[in-house]
Amino acid sequence: MSDKRRIGVYTCHCGGNISDYVDVEQVRDAVKDDEEVIISKNVMFACSDATQQEMIEDIEREKLDGLVVASCSPTLHLQTFKAVAQRANLNPYQYTQVNLREQCSWTHRSNIEKATEKGVKLVKAGIARTRLTEPLTNIRIETKPKTLVIGAGVAGLRAALALADLGLAVFIVEKESEVGGWTRKWGKMFPNNRSGNDTIKYLLDQVKQRENITLFTDTELIEKGGNVGDFSIKIRMKEGETVSLDVGAIIVATGFDSYEPFDGEYGYGLSGVVTLPQFKEMVDKSNGSLNFNGHLIKNIAYIYCVGSRQSEDGDIENPNLYCSRYCCSAAVHTASCVAEVDSDINQYHLYRDMRTYGKYETLFKNAGEKKSLFIRFDDESLPEVEESNGALIVRVNDALDGGEEIEIGVDLIVLVTGMTPRENDNLTNVLKIPVGLDGFYNEIHPKLRPVETVVDGVFIAGVSQGPKTLAESVTSSLSAVSKSAALLMKGYVDLEPFIAEVNTDKCTWCGECEKSCPYGAVEKVICDTKEVAAIIPALCKGGGVCIPDCPENAIEIKGYTDQQIKSMIDVLAKEVA
Amino acid sequence: MNYDVLIVGGGIAGMESALTLGDMGLKALLIEKEPSIGGKMVLLSKVFPTLDCASCISTPKMASTIHHPNVTIMTSSEIRKIAKNGDGAFKALINRKSTYVDNNACTGCGECEAACTVALPDRFNFGMVAHRAAYIPFPQAVPKKAVINRQGQSPCSNVCPAGVKAHGYVSLVRSGRYDEAFHLHMEDAPLPGSLSRACYAPCENACTRSDLEGSVDIRRIKRFMVDHYYSAHSEPEYGTPEKLSDKRIAIVGSGPAGLSAAYHLGRKGYHIKIFEREEQAGGMLRYAIPAYRLPKDIVDRDIKNITALGVEIETNTNITSVASLKEQGFDTVFLAVGTYETWKMNLPGEDLDGVMDCMGFLSKANTGKISDLSGKTVVVVGGGNSAIDPARLALRMGAEKVIILYRRTRKEMPAHEWEIQAAIDEGADLMILKTPRRFIGSNGRLVKVEVLRMELGEPDDSGRRRPVPVKGSEHSIDVDLAVLAIGLRPSTDSFTDQLKINRNETFRVNPETLETNIPSVFAGGDGVTGPAMIVDAIGQGKRAAFYINRYLQGESLDNIEFDSRLSIADKYDVLSNRGAISKRMQIVAVEPPPSQRVKTSEEVEKCMTEEEARYSANRCLDCGNCSECGECIKACPADAVHFDMQPEEIEIEADSVIVSTGFKLFDAHLKTNYGYGKYPNVVTAMQMDRLVSPTKPFNRTLRPSDGKAPDNIAFVLCTGSRDCTIDNPICSRVCCMYSIKQAELIMGALPLADITIYYIDIRAFGKGYEEFYKQAKEMGVYFVKGRVAKIELVEDGNLSVFYEDIDGGSGPQQMEHDLVVLSVGLLPNMDALHLFNNGDRLEADAYSYVKEINEDIDPTRTSIDGVFAAGTTSAARDIPDSILHAGAAAAQAAGYIHQLKASR
Repeated sequence: MSDKRRIGVYTCHCGGNISDYVDVEQVRDAVKDDEEVIISKNVMFACSDATQQEMIEDIEREKLDGLVVASCSPTLHLQTFKAVAQRANLNPYQYTQVNLREQCSWTHRSNIEKATEKGVKLVKAGIARTRLTEPLTNIRIETKPKTLVIGAGVAGLRAALALADLGLAVFIVEKESEVGGWTRKWGKMFPNNRSGNDTIKYLLDQVKQRENITLFTDTELIEKGGNVGDFSIKIRMKEGETVSLDVGAIIVATGFDSYEPFDGEYGYGLSGVVTLPQFKEMVDKSNGSLNFNGHLIKNIAYIYCVGSRQSEDGDIENPNLYCSRYCCSAAVHTASCVAEVDSDINQYHLYRDMRTYGKYETLFKNAGEKKSLFIRFDDESLPEVEESNGALIVRVNDALDGGEEIEIGVDLIVLVTGMTPRENDNLTNVLKIPVGLDGFYNEIHPKLRPVETVVDGVFIAGVSQGPKTLAESVTSSLSAVSKSAALLMKGYVDLEPFIAEVNTDKCTWCGECEKSCPYGAVEKVICDTKEVAAIIPALCKGGGVCIPDCPENAIEIKGYTDQQIKSMIDVLAKEVA
Repeated sequence: MNYDVLIVGGGIAGMESALTLGDMGLKALLIEKEPSIGGKMVLLSKVFPTLDCASCISTPKMASTIHHPNVTIMTSSEIRKIAKNGDGAFKALINRKSTYVDNNACTGCGECEAACTVALPDRFNFGMVAHRAAYIPFPQAVPKKAVINRQGQSPCSNVCPAGVKAHGYVSLVRSGRYDEAFHLHMEDAPLPGSLSRACYAPCENACTRSDLEGSVDIRRIKRFMVDHYYSAHSEPEYGTPEKLSDKRIAIVGSGPAGLSAAYHLGRKGYHIKIFEREEQAGGMLRYAIPAYRLPKDIVDRDIKNITALGVEIETNTNITSVASLKEQGFDTVFLAVGTYETWKMNLPGEDLDGVMDCMGFLSKANTGKISDLSGKTVVVVGGGNSAIDPARLALRMGAEKVIILYRRTRKEMPAHEWEIQAAIDEGADLMILKTPRRFIGSNGRLVKVEVLRMELGEPDDSGRRRPVPVKGSEHSIDVDLAVLAIGLRPSTDSFTDQLKINRNETFRVNPETLETNIPSVFAGGDGVTGPAMIVDAIGQGKRAAFYINRYLQGESLDNIEFDSRLSIADKYDVLSNRGAISKRMQIVAVEPPPSQRVKTSEEVEKCMTEEEARYSANRCLDCGNCSECGECIKACPADAVHFDMQPEEIEIEADSVIVSTGFKLFDAHLKTNYGYGKYPNVVTAMQMDRLVSPTKPFNRTLRPSDGKAPDNIAFVLCTGSRDCTIDNPICSRVCCMYSIKQAELIMGALPLADITIYYIDIRAFGKGYEEFYKQAKEMGVYFVKGRVAKIELVEDGNLSVFYEDIDGGSGPQQMEHDLVVLSVGLLPNMDALHLFNNGDRLEADAYSYVKEINEDIDPTRTSIDGVFAAGTTSAARDIPDSILHAGAAAAQAAGYIHQLKASR
């Protein structure tokens, strides 16, 4: 660029946060004589409305084509000053944020002189980068007002209804031939005693009433192409027929598998040792009395945390370290249901910590009032189960009673099994969404973006993200609905233009970049009869892993070009005159 | 104004709902009662289980919320009521409280905070440190705007007839800003020297401290401030104002009312001339109040405050005609003639030589025309302050015997009790239940007073028992001088033919504007109110000045309030909100013994030392929070502080409502056996969170009692949860985890500290929580299963925790710790239940949380169609669950709005 730049530099006091430790006037003066710096000012609070207005007036009056704000972290105010630039008709990508607070004043409180020296360099580096900035435009993508919901359990069905009620079309893809997942199999569920089966019937009925929902059962997702707002999906039905769909967003609601104990785990395999889902089915089907193999049940032992909170130090391969959240409440609730069937049954609960959190505390209390006895065992001494002369015996050290060993003879042992991630490797590969250490799908951030994944436009709902109760699953699925609706109802998405750019002159198409890109954002194209790499804008995240892999140095990230970065390093490495 | 959705509560849930709906293209209005959005989360240190900094997560959300084009936020605002319209939409009335700061102008620079003279418990640091009455809630506040915390007007300032901001100058003296204190006083009243000596100080009666050890010595603090200023400035620092108006004002009388009016009008640049009948200016200040109470050089210096403005005072000029003043070219007249006459008793011998009226005696005595009464017997008739002054003066002039004759008992005497006592101490005889019947002379000179004994009969109109003469009780006393001080009379005689006069001889005026029946003629002071106090007269002068100015500017005098004050701060609120108030006794005023002080006419009362004045000012409880010292107004570079800002009532409509009013923390005081509030080293977890946060109130993590770095810390889980004794049987969901988090953070901040967590069950149920719990155990946090029964104080501020060792099986145990953290639970914020009109009742569940009527498949929906609950409004929730819940509320509200719009 031959023309001289016209840059405005604003160095912020931050009300003392910066100016107490950095001599901001010295910083201002150190850059004011740069011939491309038209304005160099100190401001008390750069972010205040008044100062923003002042910047806008300066930019317009002096026809500035570059803006440097030396204040706090860009995470705080990058958007603020981008907006300032925009309001002053300056391209927001010609502004540079210099972090003079977190990276300078706050970290060097003991040495004002050196902090000021560093401050000057940081601001000069910011100016250097700004000199090389070019106007960039956001990448705008038109969105398709349709959502794909994967999984027709309670979370998937509820999400579909909510989307449809917002006027968005929905395709539900369910692997099984019947909808409803685990919930369909269950009768009374805690805490409201509503039948899971009835709930699913109701939701399915509602789904059928909505014209803009299409339900595919016995169907799997086999391909996902395109990008956020505009995915091309291929699904395969039982008969092998494939269907292509265009959707703007995808909600993954694939649920969980119930933990399957291994042979011999707390006597699993012995007659009379059952898992919680199996037991719930027995209780749901009981009619006036609870029987097992034709015998009336008089004593039941529950062993909690089966398949959850497993020790890393034991013999279990890939132990489940996590807590499955719902099982304590489900078990005590089931115990109350048992007491309703036959109030004479003695129920022994062998637990570690009773995690009936929040209002579920009342479920625990209710069970305690109905012939349930709670025996706590320590992580270090797990209960043992054995069969002796056809009878089941549980041995446990009762931690509530000084660790005394007790022996209980029972008719039935219920293993309170937890939730495990669905085995879904194919789907995970197609969607390219990450799983966490616990095997469940991972959100970007549990608080900032709890239903979003690193793949824009793909959301996770319900237990696919981690163990939840029914109500929590539905809550999370509705949250996913709101995020996907926010994406689709606007009609477009604007993506930051910080994406890779291929210099087609240099590129020789060796394919290294395609291999390195985790997002599949590189494709081979023909450019003037030559094969070169091209970047798919909507997929590129600007991660930059392709750049060092390119043997020809043919790729750069827009807005963070090598030249810009080098110019900053040059300034920072130079002695302050 | 119309919105798609109204969101009540700007915590993390409210912000999440607002942002999500905004992103959907719906218009959201977010109402927050605090001055910043962000709720409780932004105040936290780090958050479990990822240990992200809470501010770092909250602030971008806060910034996005305020900058979102579809989201409008209103802070410091509360819902008055919400009602549903016939068309399904909601109408809400919002009260936008006044923060006294113009948010458009405020830059959040914090200058006001630095200038503010009042320190209050910092709510955002849970009372561990102070913030100023002018403050920015916390460093990351959004909007980052200052707020002035004014909770009514402090009683001392509120009761002052002259509107002097007593609290303001007391707080300035407390801060060592004596000159500013003086100048603040001068904003309202120009005679601070006289007031500091002779004001009856109604402020002190109103002082909240007077309900404790005794009021703040406001008048004596003023005395210190005035003496400090006057000793450095023998002349005012200002001169005639620049913008001189061509209007001319005549003021009749140079007493406090006339001087006050002249001062306030003089500052506006009017030409003012005061006409004074006597030889010198000052009125009662000069002629009535004895020098031992009010030295005359102080009066002179006070008067300079007025004359420096270019106000002329013409003495020895008795004005008897308003018309003559008009003829002289005055545009308006203010009559401040005072009450210089004394009512006659109409007794035989009243005109004898040796019988004087009170004002006659006082003015002669105060100007040295009478100076020696050696060997004489003086009788003063009357029971008011105007009787005490002549008695005490007579003693100073050497009178052998001074008798105060009063017809009722001491209890009924209108004089201040301390004045009566001082007179008695100095040697005056108080003769009660006596009244003179006639004065007996010899050669035209008084020699005896015949006196009648009285007894008290039935109460009269004033509620005092009427004195009734006892027949046959006449006897006489030998006297040389009798001073009749039975009451003063307005000096309005000359104007009876010109102006309307009341039956009690006062001018008839409009009590608000002080205008007489002749437009352009105003009257005020004792001539209007009857005999009153100096400060009342000063107030009258100020009032007159206000309306005279309007009159001269051609502005209407109707429907304009001259003195709009905030309502008085509630003493009982103050006493209950200030926490523990340490005992601070008054400084006893040291006076010379009576035998000495009668020998001189020097000022009796000594000025406080600087140290005493600041100590005394420090006793102030800052009742109204803001002291109205006005330093913030002066300090603000953006001119953003406006004390006259009014609250606004705003009506809006919205199709849907999201209630995200959050939770309340359990009040640890209620668990009395844990000693919170009693033992300084028992803190709540919220306080602990502040102590370990990046924006912590102290530089390090310290324990409160002595600032020691704690090295043996206990956490008491389930404080206020799972506990039927305090009526909260349910679990609060977050306490186990935040305690573990704090334990991990403390291990980082204080690597040598031992940490014990007393628990019932560790409820680490969320994603990554169990792993986090395990990590804490591996770091060496000691977990003890057992509920804590009580906490007792042992040596050095340490605490003994009594618990049952369940896992160890060793029964009841106790363990010493140097800091105990109560892991307080969450309770419903029941404010949510009162947002709606009775017609649409927001139902609560069994625990008083907002009820989700079908939480299994319709979470967030409430009993009112179109109203959704987000976050901890409907149950205790951790942050991830609150955010998910808020997202669900957004989806539900959007769906409702979509259907509603489609149906219209």
